[in-house]
Amino acid sequence: MVMNTKATRNLLLITALAAVSVLSACGGNDQNESAGSTNGNSADPAAEQVTLRVFSNLPDRKSGQGLAEQMVIDNYTKENPNVKIELETLAEEPFKNKLKAYMASNEALDITMVHGGAELNTLVQAGYVKELDPAGYEGETYNFLPGVYKSFTFNDKLYGLPRNSDYEVIYYNQKIFADNGVNVPATYAELLDAAKQFRDKGIEPMSVNGKDLWSFAAFFQDLVIRVSGDQSLMLDAVEQKKNFTTDESFITAAKLLGEARDAKLFQESFMTADYGASQNLFTQGKAAMWYMGSWEAGMATNESLSEDFRNNVAVLKFPVVDGGKGKDTDLLAWNGGGYSLVSSSKHPEEAKKFFDYLMQADQWAKTVWDTGAAVPAQKYELTGTESGLQKQLTDVLTGATTTAGSLGLDYGTPKFKDDGQNAFGKFFAGGSTPEELLADLQKAAESQ
Amino acid sequence: MQKVFNNKMAIFLFVFPGILLFSLTFLVPIVLSTYYSFRDTLAPGTPSAFIGFANYTELLFHDTRFWLALRNAVLLGLGFIFIQHPIAIFFAIMLDRLGGKAEKWFRTIFFIPCVISVVVISKMWLSLLDPTFGAFNKLLDTLGLGFLKHAWLGDSSTALVTMLFILIWAGFGWGLLFYYAGLKGIPDEMYEAASLDGASGFKLQLRITVPLLSPVITVQITLAMITALKQMETVFLTTNGGPGDSTQFLAVYLYNKAFSASQYGYANAISILFIVVCLLATYLSNKLTRSDATEF
Repeated sequence: MVMNTKATRNLLLITALAAVSVLSACGGNDQNESAGSTNGNSADPAAEQVTLRVFSNLPDRKSGQGLAEQMVIDNYTKENPNVKIELETLAEEPFKNKLKAYMASNEALDITMVHGGAELNTLVQAGYVKELDPAGYEGETYNFLPGVYKSFTFNDKLYGLPRNSDYEVIYYNQKIFADNGVNVPATYAELLDAAKQFRDKGIEPMSVNGKDLWSFAAFFQDLVIRVSGDQSLMLDAVEQKKNFTTDESFITAAKLLGEARDAKLFQESFMTADYGASQNLFTQGKAAMWYMGSWEAGMATNESLSEDFRNNVAVLKFPVVDGGKGKDTDLLAWNGGGYSLVSSSKHPEEAKKFFDYLMQADQWAKTVWDTGAAVPAQKYELTGTESGLQKQLTDVLTGATTTAGSLGLDYGTPKFKDDGQNAFGKFFAGGSTPEELLADLQKAAESQ
Repeated sequence: MQKVFNNKMAIFLFVFPGILLFSLTFLVPIVLSTYYSFRDTLAPGTPSAFIGFANYTELLFHDTRFWLALRNAVLLGLGFIFIQHPIAIFFAIMLDRLGGKAEKWFRTIFFIPCVISVVVISKMWLSLLDPTFGAFNKLLDTLGLGFLKHAWLGDSSTALVTMLFILIWAGFGWGLLFYYAGLKGIPDEMYEAASLDGASGFKLQLRITVPLLSPVITVQITLAMITALKQMETVFLTTNGGPGDSTQFLAVYLYNKAFSASQYGYANAISILFIVVCLLATYLSNKLTRSDATEF
């Protein structure tokens, strides 16, 4: 019996020790928290150390937007030596999924990158992101362009700030076009004809990230805009004010999309190509065109790409459709990416300070433009040192006569986005006709 | 020591950590999952509403994608059982016969795919099978079979077969290892006795080796079925269920419903059915393969 109680006591002792060590670990976190909230003067090097957790979708920190983001972070930590920024990055799709997981467990991030529209809406409903006061971001310091909060506003409340002006364009390789004697297309028929000529020569005409599916939806929306000349038609249909299956413009656009499929406009492996794979195909000169957004301006200055490619990459507006009402200056533009403050932040004040700093017109907006990585959602000054690609992208934006304001896919619920994407996946896998695609989209809009 | 094990308190203290861990990692999630499966919600923490069996009726009677995913998982399981495992048994026997240094070498070579990370395997096959620069299509070209060139994973007519091939290839080493270990446990006298009775070659293997391997086979079939139903990583990393749902599998579908479509309640209903299907499959494969193990 003696041995018995001894064993029991030892066990209890071990358990108690384990419990103490667990509790003390929690205590350590608490200390950090108080350090953050009492910290008034951030410029004081003697101030207590604060670590801010930032979650971003830009894993490449050496070029493009990742470099711009890193530069702003470095600027801030230099000015505020007491602040350490713990950065976590993942590529686009895994990023979106992990952010949802973080939301579900109410992970104490401080600042996160967010995608406006459906994705952000979920975060808002979970109360994971903080409401912002738009009045605080008026004036010269921030210089946001008008109307850029659209995808970040829910029930008239603002939950994030956009970092870029996003719009879909066709990047193309001038050298591949010239070497093969193919004319740069100005109409959709010419685009499909160019696709045929490239195919005959064994060159992939256009690269697209088909595995991620959303590019198809953007391509379709571009077609709808070119056919109807109406920027809001697609968005209205998502909101069920219009009908996908009966509206003539949708029917024509879906048929045109079918022609792209049948003409094999996209690379052969397009259904398994994720973002990186589709980009590599284009930047390595294996595809003549790449259908992607304006945020890839950094390609022209990315030293890891061949000089030959950098000198030849150019931008093409989505071609007009014969007989369509849309002009080539009707731009599929929106503000997709941005940043939000996280509600469960352990250092709310320090987080807001860094957030405000990041969003200043002379920080993110200026850096991203100067490094040639993307087109900001804030007013920016031309420096005169812009790359040719940047100038072309600016011309597309400043020359736009109408803009969409949102991607159709992001205009509904996440369920609509998922169902809609899958409808396009089914269509491009060859499993459905243009009419079935529209029926699927209509069903997705109704059941969201 | 005997006394310690007689004391109920001591037993409790020994068992409790294990039970606690099991509850927190298995029971609690299942209970929570059941709770969410009756609700309509975007994610934990968002507003949710009780909707009864609506998720389940939608799933069972209206969701063709779910049934497609289940069908693909069952096909994969059958592929494992009828293609992968017979080959594994065959190779295990050959390996056993080989002996010496060659046996060690091949044993290692066959097991290599099982040591490589799933991410590497997925990306490797994506590259190998790429229609533009993939080595496999290049090989077809040099063999004069250029007409067979194809986007193997990118075309819905071949994607599933290709996916099954990759998964069967990737899991082959494990099957081989188990059968090989089983073979090593069969005493030589059995073969000697059978030879004396006139059995040889294929007949010898079929009548002696396979029945004596039956305990291993039973376990392997159950494991194969569960592995097939749980398949997730390779599919997620290569096709993500596409093109057009042709390689949709249960776990991938569940994941996308929960995290891409934000249908969290619905995804939990899938996960509950998933558990039921797995239990059923385990029960069935146990039942069907039960045989009295031969003593030796």
